[in-house]
Amino acid sequence: MTDIVMEAKNVYKTYGKSSKKADVKLVEAVKNVSLQIRKGDIKLIFGPSGSGKSTFLRCLAMLDIPDKGEIYLGDECLTKPGVDLNKARAKIGFVFQHIYLFRHLTALGNVELALRRVLKMPKEEARERAVAALAEVKVTDCANKYPAQMSGGQAQRVGIARALARNPDIILLDEPTSALDPELTGEVIDTLRDLAKEGTTMLIVSHEMPFARDVAEEMIFYDEGKIVETGPPSLFFNAPSTDRAKRFMDRIIKRTTRE
Amino acid sequence: MDVGQQLIILLEGVSLTLSISIISFLVGIAIGFPLAFIRVYEREVGFVVDAYEKIFRGVPELVLMLMFYFGLGPFFPFPFNNAFFVAAFVLGLRSGANQSQIYRGAIRGVGDEQMIAGQSVGLSKWGAIWHIMAPQVFTYSTPGLGSEYALLIKDSAYAYVIGGLAEIMTQAIRIKSIPPYDVITPFVLAAILYIALTFPIAFWLDRWGNKRKQKIGL
Repeated sequence: MTDIVMEAKNVYKTYGKSSKKADVKLVEAVKNVSLQIRKGDIKLIFGPSGSGKSTFLRCLAMLDIPDKGEIYLGDECLTKPGVDLNKARAKIGFVFQHIYLFRHLTALGNVELALRRVLKMPKEEARERAVAALAEVKVTDCANKYPAQMSGGQAQRVGIARALARNPDIILLDEPTSALDPELTGEVIDTLRDLAKEGTTMLIVSHEMPFARDVAEEMIFYDEGKIVETGPPSLFFNAPSTDRAKRFMDRIIKRTTRE
Repeated sequence: MDVGQQLIILLEGVSLTLSISIISFLVGIAIGFPLAFIRVYEREVGFVVDAYEKIFRGVPELVLMLMFYFGLGPFFPFPFNNAFFVAAFVLGLRSGANQSQIYRGAIRGVGDEQMIAGQSVGLSKWGAIWHIMAPQVFTYSTPGLGSEYALLIKDSAYAYVIGGLAEIMTQAIRIKSIPPYDVITPFVLAAILYIALTFPIAFWLDRWGNKRKQKIGL
């Protein structure tokens, strides 16, 4: 038994991006990517948009099935045929860039659903757990609101509560703040900082550099379907060893200071 | 026979018209709702759904009704010898084909992301369909369902051809055959009745759906 929570081994994923059927453009979003995440790790993936970060994250959660390679959740290989993926996904929290709350359910309903229908908790226990999860991300006042009635920041925090409530082994967050108005990113980042303090295992795709510097133990620079460089934040903020990472950091830091 | 008496005879047909249309509408939901999801999420058997839709949308209701009642009735007296069953069943089959298309459009409208979000919390494909997609798809479909129901009220008039069902149309024709053989008033009254039956329900469904849609931001 290792303390590795999730592992990707030589994962490949190519998908066809087509406007018309005639010219299908193949995008190699993930090319031979391997990654290990241990219990309590907080890792941050960053890189240019369209480089395949989100696809890689979806592969880890088996929401996209890799073409090749292996995904492990603890000791269980998820890419083997015949594995109960629903059961595995129940142990993986996933937070979407565009949030994707269940629109027909209140915040409470969103969080409760998996507790009731997947974990088969009794009603009262699920309610208790959901209320606690909403309190943890400080959106108790939204408990009975529908997603359409919330601000983007509130909705995303409910999204985090939805992922959190099942006590997953790991939470994967796909650019949790990039679809939000700038003044709303702060509240979501604060929530993530709280989770970090509690030792939640997280893999985050994000370009929030101040946040990355404070909480990430390891930053992963991802470009053109590959991990280009890996290291602690200090490496990237001082002197990344690859040119590509250097250029990207320059651009992103310039942008942040301008704002 | 004056207008009042005619109206009373016609009104006697209302309950049957309503039962045929309501039951066929429910049959249509029971058929169309699952078919739409099968068509979208079980691609391998999608062609069966396609064939079903083509047949029941393509063949006139009148032909279907005569075929089931006079064609199948003698061989399978139960249930095809029952005029009410045949009328409601045939319209239900047709409505199922129509409704399948309505729901399929709604599934697209609700969006695949909801499905993925559902699976991301550990629901199975059909679990996500049932708990996440179905409620939203139904809400999304309400305007279409309103007009589909209006269609069924009107089409219930076809039941006249298999006879033995005293729905509005049959009653109108009965009046026509009673002295003084008025051929205008009963049909004008029937027309008004049909409008009175279809309009409020379609209107109400539409309004309920819009309110609900607004609430959930669909």
